[in-house]
Amino acid sequence: MVELWFAIFWLMVITWLVLDGRTLGMGALRLFVAANPDERRQVLDAIGPMWSWYEVWLVGAGGVLLLAFPAVLAAAFSGYYLALFLILWLLILRGIAIELGRHLDHPLWRSFWDLALASSSALLILLFGIALGNVVRGVPIDSNGELPMAFFTDFGVRGQVGLIDWYTLLVGALNLTGFGAHGATFLVSKSTGAVRDRSRVAGRLLWSATAVLGLAVAVATWIVRPDLWTGLWFRPLAIVLLLVAAFGALAIRAGYRAGRDQLAFSGSCTLIVGLLGARAAASFPILLYSTLDPERSVSAYAVASRHHSLVIGLVWWLIAAPIALLWNVLASRSFRGRLGQGPLVPPG
Amino acid sequence: MNDLLTDPVFWHRLQFAFTVTYHYLFPQLTMGLAWFIVFFKWRALRTGEERYQKAARLWTRVFGLTFAVGVVTGIPMEFQFGTNWGGFVKYAGGVIGQTLAMEGMIAFFLESAFIGVLLYGERRLSPRLHLLAAVGLATGSWLSGYFILVTNAFMQHPVGHAVGDDGKLYLNDLGAYLTNPWAFVEFAHNQTAALVTGAFAVAALGAFYTLADRSREQASLYLRCGTITGLVAALLVAFPTGDAQAKMVARHQEVVLAAMEGRFESGPMAEITLIGQPNVAERRIDNPVKLPGALSFLAYGTFHSEVRGLDAFPREQWPDNIELLYYSFHIMAGLGTVFIALMALANVQRIRRRLESSRWLLWALMLAFPFPFIANTVGWMTAELGRQPWLVYGLFRTREGASCAVSQGNIVFTLIGFCGLYFVLGVLYLVLVGREIGRGPDLQEVAHG
Repeated sequence: MVELWFAIFWLMVITWLVLDGRTLGMGALRLFVAANPDERRQVLDAIGPMWSWYEVWLVGAGGVLLLAFPAVLAAAFSGYYLALFLILWLLILRGIAIELGRHLDHPLWRSFWDLALASSSALLILLFGIALGNVVRGVPIDSNGELPMAFFTDFGVRGQVGLIDWYTLLVGALNLTGFGAHGATFLVSKSTGAVRDRSRVAGRLLWSATAVLGLAVAVATWIVRPDLWTGLWFRPLAIVLLLVAAFGALAIRAGYRAGRDQLAFSGSCTLIVGLLGARAAASFPILLYSTLDPERSVSAYAVASRHHSLVIGLVWWLIAAPIALLWNVLASRSFRGRLGQGPLVPPG
Repeated sequence: MNDLLTDPVFWHRLQFAFTVTYHYLFPQLTMGLAWFIVFFKWRALRTGEERYQKAARLWTRVFGLTFAVGVVTGIPMEFQFGTNWGGFVKYAGGVIGQTLAMEGMIAFFLESAFIGVLLYGERRLSPRLHLLAAVGLATGSWLSGYFILVTNAFMQHPVGHAVGDDGKLYLNDLGAYLTNPWAFVEFAHNQTAALVTGAFAVAALGAFYTLADRSREQASLYLRCGTITGLVAALLVAFPTGDAQAKMVARHQEVVLAAMEGRFESGPMAEITLIGQPNVAERRIDNPVKLPGALSFLAYGTFHSEVRGLDAFPREQWPDNIELLYYSFHIMAGLGTVFIALMALANVQRIRRRLESSRWLLWALMLAFPFPFIANTVGWMTAELGRQPWLVYGLFRTREGASCAVSQGNIVFTLIGFCGLYFVLGVLYLVLVGREIGRGPDLQEVAHG
C-alpha cells in the first residue's frame, strides 16, 4: 500500500510536469518564437484554456502528499518556507498573466503581461529544477526531523546544504533547457507559419543543450549521490523506465528529422516520464534524503498514514482519477487541432 | 503586546486569516453567480430570447475574472498547511488530507476542465453542451465548497477519526467523516450565504444600469432575478440554516455560544443582547439592549431553558478573543436582518412595478453589494474565532499546530508580500470588472469565440 501511494504521488508529480511543463516552456519561449502580437496570441492560444487543469495536478499532488505522507509535507514545506512562497507568488503571477493579460487590447498592457508571463514561467522552471535537484541531493534533516534551510550556504553538496548550490543550479539549468525544448516541441506540433519555424529552430537548439546538460547532471549525480546510480541496477522498474526514456529521445530525434511533429512531442513526453520515473523508482522508499546523516533520511514506510486511511484513499482515488481524465477529454475536444490564422480568443 | 508581536503563532494565524479571507471574497461570488449563469443559459436555450444570452455572456465575463483570482489566491491556501501549520498536518493529516486531496481530484479537475469551455467555447459548442459546461462548473465549485467545509467541520466537531498509538489522528470511518452533521449545516448556511452575495451583485448591477439609464431590458432582468433570489437566499441563511448552525454550536460548543452572545453568567430565560459592548475584564455587557428569553428559545427551543454562561467554563476553554467574536457574530446577524428587510422591500416595490422608478431604493440596492462580502467574512470570523483556542475542537490546540521550524521574521516577510501582491491583484480585478460593466451586456460581438 505504501508502495502504491509512493507511485501515485510520483505519478501525479510527473503528469503535472509533463502537462504544465510544456505550458511553462511555451511561456518562457514565447517572446523568442513570436515576433508580433498576432504570433504571440497564437502561442497564448497554444497554452490554451486548459492550463489551470494542468496546474491542478500540482495541487492534487500536494493533496496526495498530505493524505499519504503528512509528515513529509510538513517538514519539507516549512523547511523550504521562503522558497515555497516564491514559487506560490510566481504561480499567481503566471496565472494572472495568462488570464488577465488578454483583457485589454493596449500595446503597453500587452507588453507588460508578455514580460510577466515570460519571466514568471522561466523562473518557475528554474525553481522547480532547483527543487528537483534538492530532492536528489538531499536536505539537512536535523535530529528533530526538521529541515530549516538557507537559500545558500557554501554552495557545497554535503553537510549543511542550502537551497542553491552548484549541483541544484545545474539541475535548474537542465530543467530550463529541457522544459523549454518540451514546450518548443509542442508548439511545433500546434502552431503554423513563422511561429512553427522558429519553434523548430529553438527546439533543436534546446534539445542539443539538454543532451549536454543531461550528461553533465548524470555525471554530477554520480558524485553527489552515487548510491542512486548503484541502486538503479537492482531495480528492474528503474531500468525499464530508463529504456523508455532512451526510446523517447530517439523518437524526438526521428520526429524532428522527418518533420513528424506529433511523434517528436510524444517522444518528449516519453523522455520526461522515463527519466523522472526512473529517478523516483531508484529512490524508493526514501522520500527525503538527509545530507547530515543518511540514517535520518525519511522513508515512505516511516511516515505513511495508517494502512486503513491509505486503503480508503486508494478506493476513491481510483474512481476519481479516471473521471478527472474524462473531464479533460470532454473539455479539450472543442480545442483540438492545429491553430490556424484566426485567434482562439478574440482580443478583449 | 510585545509578546504577541514576537510570537510566531500570532503571525501564522494572521497570515492564514488574511490570505483565506481575501481568497474567499472570490469563491463566494463565483459560487453564487454560477447558478445565475446556468439559469440564464437554460432560459436562453428554452425560450431562444436574446436577452438571456446577453445576460449569460456578461455574467460569464465577470465570472471568468473572479474565478481566475479565486484560483490563483486558492493555491497558497493548500500549501500553507505545510508551510505554516506543519504541526497540524503531522497530527491530523491522515484525516484532513483525505478531503483536501478529494477537493483537488474531484472538484478542481471538474472546474478547471470546464472554465475554459465556458469562457471560450461558445462558438465551438452547441448551446446545449455549452449549458452543460456551465452546470459542470457550478457543480464543481459547490463540490469544492463541500470538501473544504467537511474539513472545517472536522476542526469544529471532529467525527469519524481515531487516535493512533503515536497520539496522531487517523481516519476510521470515511462515511461518518463525510456526513458530519456539522458539515451539512455549515454547507447549507455557507452556500445560501454565497447565493446572497451573487444575488446582491446581480441586483446591484441592475440598479446601476437603471440609474444610469442604459441597457434597460437587461437591467430589469437583473433586478428581477437578483431581488427574488436575494430574498429567498437571505431568508434561508437566517432560517433554517443559521438557526440550525446556532443550535449546533449550542449543542457542541456551549462555551462558544456564551462568548458569541457575550453571556458571562449562567441561568434560565437567557436573553439575546441586540446591542452592547462586552467588557471581558469586568465580565459584563456595557450599555445592553436585551431581548429576554430569546437565547434560551433559539438555542434549546423553550424560553426557560438554562443557558450556561462563560462562568460555567474554565478560563482556558474560553475563546481567546471574545470581543472580536462577539462583534463578528452581531455584525453578521445584524447584516443578515438588514438583507432580508432590503430585499423584501425591493420585491414589494417590484411587484407594484415601482422598483425601477424608486431611485432611493435603487441607490440602496446598488450600494448594498459589498455588505454580503462583509457578512460572509464576519460569519467565518465567528466560526474560526469561536473555535479558538482549539485547532481541532477539544483535541488539539492552535498553538501546537504551527510549524516550529519557521521563524517569526519569515512569516512577517511573507505576510507583507501577500499584502502587496493582493493589493495589486485587487486593483487589477476591480479595473477589469469595472471595464466589463462599462462595456455592458449589449456588446455587439460575441466576446469570446
